[in-house]
Amino acid sequence: MRAAALTGFVLVLAGCHPAVVPAIPANYLRVDIDSSPLSLDPRYATDAVSARIDELLFDSLLRLDQNGRFTGDLAASFEWRSPTALVFHLRPGVRLSDGRLLTARDVKYTYDSVLDPASLSPKRGGMEELAGVDAPDDSTVILRTRRPYAPALELGLLNVVPADTPAGAGASRTPLGSGPFRLAGFVRDEWVILARNPYHPYAPGAVPGVAFKVVPDPTVCALELLEGSAQFTENDLPPALLGYLRDRPRLTVSQSPGTSYQYLQFNFRDPRLRDLRVRQAIAMAIDRPALVRSLLYGTARVASGMLAPENWAYTGAVRQYPYDPAAARRMLDRAGYRAGADGLRFTLVYKTTQGEERMLLAQALAAMLRQVGIGLRIRSYEWPTFYSDIQRGNFDLTSLAWIGITDPHHYFLVFDSAMIPPRGLNRGDYVNPRMDALLAQGDATIDPNQRRAIYAAVQQLAAEDLPYVSLWWQDNVAVMASRVGGFKPYPNGSLRSLASVHLGAEPLEAAVR
Amino acid sequence: MIDFIWRRILALVPVALGVATLTFALLHLVPGDPVIAMLGENATAADVEGLRHQLGLDQPLAVQYVAYLDGLLHGDLGQSISTHQPVSRAIAQRFPATMELAGAGLVVAILFAFPLGLLAGARPGGAIDFSAMSFALFGISVPHLYLGPLLMIVFSLELGWLPLNGRGGLAHLVLPALTMGMALAAVTARMLRQSLIQVREADFMRTARGKGLSELSALTRHGLRNALTPIISLLGLQAGALLTGSIITEVIFSWPGMGRLLISAIGARDYPLAQGCVLVFALTYVTVNIVTDLAYGLADPRVRRQ
Repeated sequence: MRAAALTGFVLVLAGCHPAVVPAIPANYLRVDIDSSPLSLDPRYATDAVSARIDELLFDSLLRLDQNGRFTGDLAASFEWRSPTALVFHLRPGVRLSDGRLLTARDVKYTYDSVLDPASLSPKRGGMEELAGVDAPDDSTVILRTRRPYAPALELGLLNVVPADTPAGAGASRTPLGSGPFRLAGFVRDEWVILARNPYHPYAPGAVPGVAFKVVPDPTVCALELLEGSAQFTENDLPPALLGYLRDRPRLTVSQSPGTSYQYLQFNFRDPRLRDLRVRQAIAMAIDRPALVRSLLYGTARVASGMLAPENWAYTGAVRQYPYDPAAARRMLDRAGYRAGADGLRFTLVYKTTQGEERMLLAQALAAMLRQVGIGLRIRSYEWPTFYSDIQRGNFDLTSLAWIGITDPHHYFLVFDSAMIPPRGLNRGDYVNPRMDALLAQGDATIDPNQRRAIYAAVQQLAAEDLPYVSLWWQDNVAVMASRVGGFKPYPNGSLRSLASVHLGAEPLEAAVR
Repeated sequence: MIDFIWRRILALVPVALGVATLTFALLHLVPGDPVIAMLGENATAADVEGLRHQLGLDQPLAVQYVAYLDGLLHGDLGQSISTHQPVSRAIAQRFPATMELAGAGLVVAILFAFPLGLLAGARPGGAIDFSAMSFALFGISVPHLYLGPLLMIVFSLELGWLPLNGRGGLAHLVLPALTMGMALAAVTARMLRQSLIQVREADFMRTARGKGLSELSALTRHGLRNALTPIISLLGLQAGALLTGSIITEVIFSWPGMGRLLISAIGARDYPLAQGCVLVFALTYVTVNIVTDLAYGLADPRVRRQ
């Protein structure tokens, strides 16, 4: 009787809750994502998932192409009018998803609302050099910088919202955009559904919509792909699963070079790590090809520096540190760190997060460093605690990744002495006046060829000084149903090409089921 | 009985205060800054201070605590820092999903435990007992993290009978409920078996058999009721644990419940949302225990008379 009542109660709950599974047309592309976007307003979106979806909803002045180069998006063309003024000429006829024309006024409004301190936009911190935005007519936008500022092109990557979109912390709704899709539904932690922007042209046969489903567990994501309830995912599956998925006839695995950069960071506040010989010894003690082979199942390239070869400013002509534990031991001896009775010279604290792959990396590094007499005390924390420690410089060693590096200006953010926290990302307290000078020069030099030479020197100096040991550049790995066609990978993991993806006929077996 | 209910309801007040205080203290003491989580490390000092002021995080902790309690007294759980949504609304959206899952888990536990426990307790040491207890051992031993995907592979991928994950109608509920309920079913079945074995030797059971009832009839009609008190106690405690322990199942099955909400709130150091979730979990747990106490009275007239 009571069990029956309880059963009834559950049935009522199950039957009466609001329709949380929206009706998704069968011809929509179903994409699994590992977390819900935090905000679909591009002025407030800081997480990777939001950024990926925003690319499909909004346009920006510029966009990165498949080779990682800046190309016009809203802008038909752009040029430097002076070292402090970048002019963009907008494409005519761009319309928002409600049919209104998008003009320079909307672009100016978007930038102004980010620059307004009252809006508390997280994008404002990256726009300190932007003095203002002008819209002299409906099709011209001028970004004015406070000083000659070559990375200004990066400022053109902000997605544009219409001029009547409210800003502020409470403005959490999703604005209209002029991108290939419009938002058709959003249930936090469950679905984001995009339908075509009727005013944005697209190729015949391309999918009419994309349904993003939040699937936090990677194993379940793989099962969805196998079952066919998901047709696409990118960079969400652990490398260990990829070998199995590659062998499935109804799935395709696309692996392409990526720009996400994994590094080992030293804290220069520690006197042992301030010694270049110790840093070099640690670099030589790490077998990076083995890490890529064993931990990442070959889904990465061993890195020589922060900029991947796809970046226009990349140089490979930097000092390398091939795996050589014997040389590492000699280097540590020379630095005066002799092994004690327990075989250890000294012990460092390595901080990391609690993810399985993070822990495996920590253990592999500990085993490698043990070979040269350095003990590694691994401390793992949940992300906010770990992040707080790293920001406060409360670590000896840690490993993190930079995602989405576009301009070599990133070196300024992480290696300039002015960027030591709380303001900036130089968490390891690295200071070299020569580096500071080069970075200032790199920011102020507009000519790309001169800039390339400056950043070649920056990369060489970073490889000499070793504030980071470069570990790897992570490949972008997309797993998709074999009937998904037209996907083009971008080095930064952008999903922009989903706008032109098409779905072939469903395999007979799946159709029957 | 009415007095008893009132006393238990009044006891909720200090529990709520204690939970609110502990959650507030713990969340604010652990490292992590919601403002940096929102604005990023590139944020200017002025922006950081501006947002800190807007969120009231620049106030002394004692002031923030009093403001939080004041809000609670007025039924206001505050506003989520990360989504700007009222906490009560966010919880109201997710609470039914978690209740549904926990309730379904409990139903599964009861549906499996009672037949298994009865069959095993009716003939201890026999083949049925061995099979039932082996099944129970499996239920206890297999963690949710493994059982969930295993059920998905069998019932969704291979047989195609049930949806893989997500929240929808009844069909969506079956696999997560099985995942949630199997361990509890196993524990309950084992305890019921043990309880029945003890009851079997009681005088009233001998009388029942003497009246000509079969062993199974005697057990179900007379033994089960007497063996039920520890089972109700166990189910009551575990029902609360099902509610709060649904987090892993919610993650595996992409179930939009409060467990996932709490995890993401803690990750973002969204103090009001995390505090609200923990408070609701705690109050639900206590309420379930009150209901359990009341259920004793229904099962055992001696308790009612007391």
